Amino acid sequence: MDYILSLIIFFPLVAGILGFLVSQNSIRIYGISVAFIEFMLTIILWIGFNGNTDGFQFVEHVTVISHFGMNYHLGVDGISLFLVILSTFMTMIALIGLNIKKDVKNLIISVLLLEMTMVGVFLSLDVILFYLFWEFSLIPMLYIIGAWGSDKRIYAAIKFFLYTFAGSILMLVGILYMGYLYHATAGVWSFSIPDWQLLILPFNTQLWLFGAFFLAFAIKVPMFPFHTWLPYAHGQAPTIGSVILASVLLKMGTYGMVRFLLPLFPDATIYFVIPIAIIAVIMVIYAAMIAYAQEDMKQVIAYSSISHMGIIILGIFAINAEGVTGSIFFMISHGIVSGALFMLVGCIYDRRHTKKISEFGGLAISMPTFATIYGVMLMASVGLPLTIGFVGEFLSLIGFYKVSWILTLLAGTGIILGAIYMLSLYKRSFFGEITNEKNRNLKDLNGRELAALIPLVVLVLVLGIYPKPLLEPIDFSVKKMIVLMEKKAVTQEAKEFIVKVNSIEGGL
Amino acid sequence: MEQYLYIALFAPLVGSLVAALFAQSSKNIFTGIFTSTLIFISFVSSIILLYYVNANTIVNVEMMDWISAGNLSISFGFVVDQVSVIMMVTVTLVSTVVHVYSIGYMEHDESFNRFFSYLSAFVFSMMILVMSDNFLGLFIGWEGVGLCSWLLIGFWYKKTSASWAANEAFIMNRIADLGMLMGIFLIYWNIGSLQYDIVFASIVNLDIKIVSWIGIFLFIGAMGKSAQFPLHTWLADAMEGPTPVSALIHAATMVTAGVYLIVRAGEIYTLIPNVGMFIASLGAFVAVFAASMALVNRDLKRIIAYSTLSQLGYMFVAAGLGAYWIALFHLMTHAFFKSLLFLGAGNVMHAMNNELDIKKMGGLYKAMRPTAILMGIASVALAGIYPLAGFFSKDKILEVAFNDGSYILWAALFVGAGLTAFYSFRLIMLVFFGDKVHEKFGIVPHEAKPFVIYALTPLALLAIVAGFFEHSFYEFTTQLLADYKFTLDHSVVINLIFATSAIALSGIIFAVYKYIRGGFSEKIENWRIYKLLLNQYYIPKLYEVCIIKPFATLSRFAWLNIDNKIVDASVDMIAKTICSSGEKAREMQSGNLSSMLRWMVVGIIVLLVLAIFYRPMV
Amino acid sequence: MITLTHYLVLSVILFSIGLVGVMRRKNLLMLFFSTEILLNSVNIGFVAVSHYYGDLSGQLFAFFIIAVAASEIAVGLGLLVLWYKKTGSINLDSLQMMKG
Repeated sequence: MDYILSLIIFFPLVAGILGFLVSQNSIRIYGISVAFIEFMLTIILWIGFNGNTDGFQFVEHVTVISHFGMNYHLGVDGISLFLVILSTFMTMIALIGLNIKKDVKNLIISVLLLEMTMVGVFLSLDVILFYLFWEFSLIPMLYIIGAWGSDKRIYAAIKFFLYTFAGSILMLVGILYMGYLYHATAGVWSFSIPDWQLLILPFNTQLWLFGAFFLAFAIKVPMFPFHTWLPYAHGQAPTIGSVILASVLLKMGTYGMVRFLLPLFPDATIYFVIPIAIIAVIMVIYAAMIAYAQEDMKQVIAYSSISHMGIIILGIFAINAEGVTGSIFFMISHGIVSGALFMLVGCIYDRRHTKKISEFGGLAISMPTFATIYGVMLMASVGLPLTIGFVGEFLSLIGFYKVSWILTLLAGTGIILGAIYMLSLYKRSFFGEITNEKNRNLKDLNGRELAALIPLVVLVLVLGIYPKPLLEPIDFSVKKMIVLMEKKAVTQEAKEFIVKVNSIEGGL
Repeated sequence: MEQYLYIALFAPLVGSLVAALFAQSSKNIFTGIFTSTLIFISFVSSIILLYYVNANTIVNVEMMDWISAGNLSISFGFVVDQVSVIMMVTVTLVSTVVHVYSIGYMEHDESFNRFFSYLSAFVFSMMILVMSDNFLGLFIGWEGVGLCSWLLIGFWYKKTSASWAANEAFIMNRIADLGMLMGIFLIYWNIGSLQYDIVFASIVNLDIKIVSWIGIFLFIGAMGKSAQFPLHTWLADAMEGPTPVSALIHAATMVTAGVYLIVRAGEIYTLIPNVGMFIASLGAFVAVFAASMALVNRDLKRIIAYSTLSQLGYMFVAAGLGAYWIALFHLMTHAFFKSLLFLGAGNVMHAMNNELDIKKMGGLYKAMRPTAILMGIASVALAGIYPLAGFFSKDKILEVAFNDGSYILWAALFVGAGLTAFYSFRLIMLVFFGDKVHEKFGIVPHEAKPFVIYALTPLALLAIVAGFFEHSFYEFTTQLLADYKFTLDHSVVINLIFATSAIALSGIIFAVYKYIRGGFSEKIENWRIYKLLLNQYYIPKLYEVCIIKPFATLSRFAWLNIDNKIVDASVDMIAKTICSSGEKAREMQSGNLSSMLRWMVVGIIVLLVLAIFYRPMV
Repeated sequence: MITLTHYLVLSVILFSIGLVGVMRRKNLLMLFFSTEILLNSVNIGFVAVSHYYGDLSGQLFAFFIIAVAASEIAVGLGLLVLWYKKTGSINLDSLQMMKG
C-alpha cells in the first residue's frame, strides 16, 4: 500500500499511452477496463484508509528540487478521499456510457489523461505539483470539447481554456509569493501544504493572498460573475465531456477553497464570509432563474449546476463542521446527480440529435424507463430527502444558518426555484401527449445506457439513506481543520467567529 | 412491540416496491390485491399498537443512524405514542378502504399497477411522517408525501392540466417547506437536537422571541401542506388527480399533516399564545373563505375540496387555541366522512362518464341508491348533525372558540357551519335529486360494483358512530397532549350546541327547500359577488399575473439581457480588446525599413524621456 | 570665442539633420549618408567634450567610430550594389520581404 497514490495517479497515464497500441475496435473495452481497475484501486485506498487518524495518510515524499523545496509529495485525508473516488467512478461511468464513433481512440486516451490530472489535483500535497495538475487538466478537456463538440466547439473550448487559465495565473503568483513568505519566515524553501498550514500570516498579507487564490477557484467553480464559460462549455461539449466537467472539474474549485483558503488564510476567509456569501446567494437565485428561461435541456442542467455550486460555497464559508462537511458531501452528491443528468440528456440527444425542449413532449409515453430514471435524478437534484441530494444541501444550509439566517433564507429559495425549473423541464419534455411524431417510436434505454445509469441510481438512493460511511471521515478531517483554523487565526474577531459558529446556543 | 411497529411502517413500502416491478406491464389485478392486503396488515398492526399504547406504554425505536456531522446527529427513530398511533390508525384505515375502492375505480386504467405503487408509497411516506420521533424524520415524510402527491396528481400525465396542477402543488409545498426547514435550523442551533422529547424538554428555557420564530416557521410549513391561505390554490387544482387520490391525500391524510405538526409541536405552541391566536384567526378566516367558494362552484370535486379546506380551517382554530386533542379528534372524524364523500363522488363520476359539472347531473338517486345514501351520511356528518361524527368534533371547536373568548372567531365558525350545511346539501340535491339533466347528454348512469360499495361501509359506519368515542379519545390522547380546560357553564354549552345545530339544520333545510323548487334563478350568476366567488376571489388569476408571468419575464430578461449582454459580453469584450489591439499593433511590423526606423526613433525618445524623468535609484 | 556649447549645438543640429534623413529618406544611399551624418555629429560631440576635459579617450573613441563607420559603409555599399543589380531599385519601400 506504500505507493498506492502514485499508482492511482500514473496508472491512467501509462494505460493511456499504451492505449495508442490498442486497435480501434477494442479500445472501448480497454478504456472501461482501465477505468474500472483505477476505480478499484481507489476503493482499495478507501478500505485501507483509517478514518480516525490525524493528518494525511499514504504520504509519499520524493525530493525533486531540494534547493527550492519543490517535491513530489502526495497524501490523502477525509476531505480529498471521496473526491478521488468520485473522479475515478464518474470516469468509469462516463466511459461505459460513451457513444461516440469518431476517433474514439483519441477520445478515450484524452479521458484517461484527464483522469490522471483530476486525481493528481486531489492527491497533491505539494503546491507546485498541485498547480501542474491543475493546469494540465485543461488540456485534455480542451481537446474533448474542441474535437468532439458541436458547432461552436472551438469558441467554447478556447473560452473555457483561456478563462480558467487566466484565473490560475494569478494563483501562480500567489503560490510564489506564499513560498517566498515561507522562506522569509522559516529560512528554508517549502511548497508543501502541511508546512504552509503551520505558517501564521499577518492579516493584510492574508487578504492579498486570499484574493489571488480565490479568483482562480471562483472561475473554476464557476462563481457569478465568472460563470459564463460554463454554459458554452456544456452546451458544446460531447456528453462525456459534460459529465466529467460537471461532476469533477467544477469540484476542483471548491476543493481548492477547502484545502487552501480556509486553513491557510483563516482571518481573510472570515473577513470575506459575508461578501462571498452574498455572491453565492446571487448565484443560487440568478442561475436558477436563468435555468428556468432556457430552451435547451442541457443548458437547464448547466445553469442548475451553477445554482447548486452556490450552496456548496455557502456551506464552505459557514466555517463550521456541519456546513463544511455538508458542502464536501454535496460536492460528491452533485457530481453523481449532475453527471447522471448530463448522461440522460446525452441519451435523448443520441436519439433525436436535438436538445431543444420544445422538440420533446410526451417522452414518458415512449420511453418509460428513461422517464423513471430521469425522475429519480430530478428528485435528487431538487434535494428530496432520502436521495443523495438532500443530505449535502441540508447540511450546507444548516451550517450557514448560524452565520446569517437571512442569507440562508434567500439561498433556501434555491430549493423552491430548483423545483420550479426542474419540474417545468420535466413537464415540458416528458408529460403531455406526444406532439412531435419523431418522438413516437423512440427506443427506450438500451443495455449500455442502463449499465451506466443504474449504478448512479443505486448510489443516489443508498447514500441518501445511509450517508454515514462518507460523512464520518469527512467530518473527522473537517473538525481537525477547524481546530487548526481557530489556532492559527491572528485576529480576535476571527477566533470569536469560529467559536460562535461552532457552538449550539441561543440566537436567531 | 417493535415488530408491529416495523410491520406497520414497512408493509406499505413492500407493497409499493412489488407493485413498482410491474409498473410497465399491463394491468394485473394481483398488484391491487397485494398492496391492499399489505395496507390492511399495516392497519391491523396499528390497531395492535393502539391497544398496546393504551394498556402499557409508548413504543420508541432507533432504527439506524442517518446524518451526523458536527454536533448534529440524526437517526431514523420512530415513536408510537398516543398522537402518532391515532394518526396511524386513521391513515391505514382510510388507505385500506381507498386501496380496495381503487381496485374497482381504476380497473379500466392502463397504468393500474403504477397507480397502486404510488398509492402505497404515499401511505409509507405518511407513516414516516406521523411515526418519526424527530423533526427531520417528519420532514422526510413531509417531502415524501409531497412527491407522492406530485406523482398522483399528475398520474394521468398525458393531460397537460394534470401535470400543471401536480407541479403547482409541489412548488407551493416547497415554498412552505422552506419555512419549515428554517424552523428546523432554528431549533437545531438553539437546542442542539431535533428529537421531539429533547426539544420539548428544553424549549421552555429559550427566549420567547426565538420560540415565537420557531412557531412561525413551523406553521409556514404547515400552511403549505394544509393549503392555508395564501398557499391554498393548489388544493382545488389537485382535483385533477384520480378521485381515490383526492379522497386519501387531499382530504383524509396529507392535507391534515399540517394540523398534525401543530398538535405534535403543541408544547411549543402553548408557550406562544400570540402565534396560536394568529393560527386560529387564519384558520377561522379560511373556514369561511373556502366555504364561500364552495357555495357557487359547479365542479363536484372542487366543492368537496373547498369543503376540506374549510374543515382544515376549523382544525387550525382548535389547534391554535390550544385544544390539541379536539383538533386531532376533528382530524380523525373528518378523515372518515370526507374520504367517504370523495369516494362517493368517485362513483358518481364513473356513472357520469367523468362529467364533473353538478348542473349536468340530477336525479341520480334512482340509479345509484347505495352511493346516494353513503354520500348523504357523509354530508350529514360534515354538516354536524347529531348523532353523526361531525357533530361531536365540530361542535367542540365552536365551544373552544367561545370558551376562549374569541367571539369573532366563534362567529366566523358559526357562519361557516351554516355555509357548510348549505353547500353540502346543494351538492346532494343537484346530484341525486331534481331533474335528470344528464339524460340530455345521453349518459346512462350505473352503480359501482358491489365490492366497491362494501368497501365504503366501514367509513360510513365510522362517520356515524365515531363521535361516541369522544370521551375515550379524550382520555387516551390527553395522556400526552395538553388538556384543554373548559370554563363555560353547562347551560351556555347547551345553548351553543342548539345554536350550532340550528344553523346547520337551517342550512340544510334552506338548500333542500331551494333546490326542490328548481334552485336559484339564473340571475344571480350575474351578481358581482357570484362571479367573485366563482373565480375564487381572482386569487389564481392574481398569482398568474403577479408572480408566474413576471417570474418568467424576469428570468428571460436575466438570461438574454443580463447574462448574455452584460456579464458574458464584458468577458468577451476583454478578449476582443486584446485581440483587436493585437490587430492594430500588427501594423507596426510592416517590414518596411523606413517605418521601422521611425518606430526606433520613437523608442529612443521614449527611453530618453524616461531616463530624464524617472530615476528611482537616485 | 567658440565655446564647448557651440560645438555641442553644432553636434545636435547635425544629429537632427541625420535623424530627419533617416526617417524621411526612401533612397537607401541617402540613408547611408544620413547615418554617416549621425555618426559624425556624435564624433564632434566626443571630440569637443574630450578637449574640454582634457581627456583623450573621447578622441580615441572618435577614431573607433570612424573606423566602424568606414567598414560599415564598405559592407553596406557592397550589399547595396548587389541589391541594385538584383532588383534594379534601391527604394526602401521595395524592401518588404519581412513583412509580418
